[in-house]
Amino acid sequence: MYRYDEFDADMVSSRVEQFKAQVERRLSGALSEAEFRPLRLMNGLYLQLHAYMLRVAVPYGTLNSTQMRKLAELADKYDRGYGHITTRQNVQFNWPELTDVPDMLKELASVEMHAIQTSGNCIRNVTSDPYAGAIADEIEDPRPTCEILRQWSTLHPEFAFLPRKFKIAVIASKKDRALIRAHDIGLEIIENDAGDIGYRVYVGGGLGRTPVIGQVLRDFLPRVELLPYLEATLRIYNRYGRRDNKYKARIKILVQETGIEDFRKQVEAEYAELVPLDIAVSPEEVERITQYFSPPDYKDLEDVEVKSDDPAFARWLKHNVLENKTPGYSIVNISLKPKDRAPGDVTSEQMRIAADLADEFSFSEIRTTHQQNLVLPYVETQELENIYKKLVGAKMSEGNIGLISDIICCPGMDFCSLATARSIPVSQAIAERFWDPERQAVIGEMQIKISGCINACGHHHVGHIGILGLEKAGVEFYQVKIGGDPSENTALGQITGPGFSQEELIDGIERMVDHYIEIREDEERFIDTVRRAGVETFKEVLYVDA
Amino acid sequence: MSSAKHKGKGPQSLTANTLRDGLSVWLTAEFDWSMKYSEALITEDDKIIEKMESIGEESERANDVVAPYFIDVEAESGLPVRYREKFRVRGPSYDTATLVPLDIQKV
Repeated sequence: MYRYDEFDADMVSSRVEQFKAQVERRLSGALSEAEFRPLRLMNGLYLQLHAYMLRVAVPYGTLNSTQMRKLAELADKYDRGYGHITTRQNVQFNWPELTDVPDMLKELASVEMHAIQTSGNCIRNVTSDPYAGAIADEIEDPRPTCEILRQWSTLHPEFAFLPRKFKIAVIASKKDRALIRAHDIGLEIIENDAGDIGYRVYVGGGLGRTPVIGQVLRDFLPRVELLPYLEATLRIYNRYGRRDNKYKARIKILVQETGIEDFRKQVEAEYAELVPLDIAVSPEEVERITQYFSPPDYKDLEDVEVKSDDPAFARWLKHNVLENKTPGYSIVNISLKPKDRAPGDVTSEQMRIAADLADEFSFSEIRTTHQQNLVLPYVETQELENIYKKLVGAKMSEGNIGLISDIICCPGMDFCSLATARSIPVSQAIAERFWDPERQAVIGEMQIKISGCINACGHHHVGHIGILGLEKAGVEFYQVKIGGDPSENTALGQITGPGFSQEELIDGIERMVDHYIEIREDEERFIDTVRRAGVETFKEVLYVDA
Repeated sequence: MSSAKHKGKGPQSLTANTLRDGLSVWLTAEFDWSMKYSEALITEDDKIIEKMESIGEESERANDVVAPYFIDVEAESGLPVRYREKFRVRGPSYDTATLVPLDIQKV
């Protein structure tokens, strides 16, 4: 993985010192809250419902074991002993004190981490496929591209005050595991007919209060043109994006209002004005950065088949383990979705165990996923049982990846100052209702996503079943969407109708799931049946009591 | 409604977050700040509300609290009217911190 050079280290350290001085000036009163707020946000520090919240960047979801241990240390030393994996692969601490944050940032800098640009109207942390570099279906490891984008976008002076935040995701497989078409810019690394590697560029995707699926801006962008072309795109957005209304300020609205054809013309015209190779990354530099992501020192192994009579281990093998592209190795998903906890929350003890497992079994590397789980990407297949046993002891052994209890869920009203309703208890209630592992296996792949407000951090628009928490006259209620899809077949769910209480909601979901099992054909997944049979038939069972 | 200036209806309470740790606080009858809502000063008296407002402004200038604002309070229950404010009083209904031994937590 990428290691800081002298410039990176100096930049992050000087930023820590800068923020330390800003906090001191705020505490002394030299800075008012109005003056301090944008400064703290630029360093990932929010003031939430009950306390401050620090969001730490995990570039493209890649961590080493030392970094994970540092996060565990920060959780204990400055917080309440746990962290939260977000839907953009970052880590949040829910209870830090303002006076501690400069020290937290200093400690993060010591392991090449920071919280820069995890908030604010700038280019945010670049996200990617959590299996990058390990999965067989990729054209190449997408992380060198992510790293080039990280270096380009970090403290980019022209894009520090965009009309609104800007999110980029990169994949290198036909299978989309990073939701690229729900990003302001989504990049798919592809190979053209001539055998050249480049990018398909999507623009104008996003969730939030106005969900939009990104459209193709360029069908094939040569690799060397990446940064100049994105620079041109960002310039058009920066120039014409609406600053008069924050709810219409994202690039998706600009693209919608301009039309993709005219928007493309504007970008191409701007691009034509640039000196093409001015900021282009040379092949030599791409090669240098790519070297940091060289495959680990794999042993020369044969593929082995692991079987077990233990049903829990067998389930874990089936749902949580994938083949690594190297024979004899596997990719292990660690579920952070036990029945009775908040999705994505991980205690400091569990972080240390994950770090130990990474050291012992995965070349010290860990990934965070936008599905709010962890991944060990490079595990010897013959060690799977050993890992599983250790995960059982750490209460991280649920074999439920991709199943109905593997729910994406934002912090909701329990923590977030923007939320309108709670989401964590809803996710716990769904997990409780469907916890029987045999039943989960029968239901098969199911993506339930819950947001506690219309900002949609819980990705409810693209859930097979999406749930939006709202509140009226002091009572929480939940709207349901059906038919969303976060995969390469990206689709937005359809709103079914009036909302439900939490109890009614869980019953309604159960009726829809039972209905799916009743009418599904062959190996159809829930989403396939919804597509074939239509949303109406599910609405009928959802509202049967209404 | 909630406002830094009193514009609400019925009984009022003044709330804020502390600057140093960000925790929710409410102004007490002693015109001090408490993390316990049960100690909050709740009143409809315009003169007292005026004083609360000036204490809030003073506390903000003194960098003790951030962005104080008035909240409407239900006369019967004594709880805040707005759902969000009820949650600030109750705290999270679920917090993973409950699974972590207290002796290793900072906060």
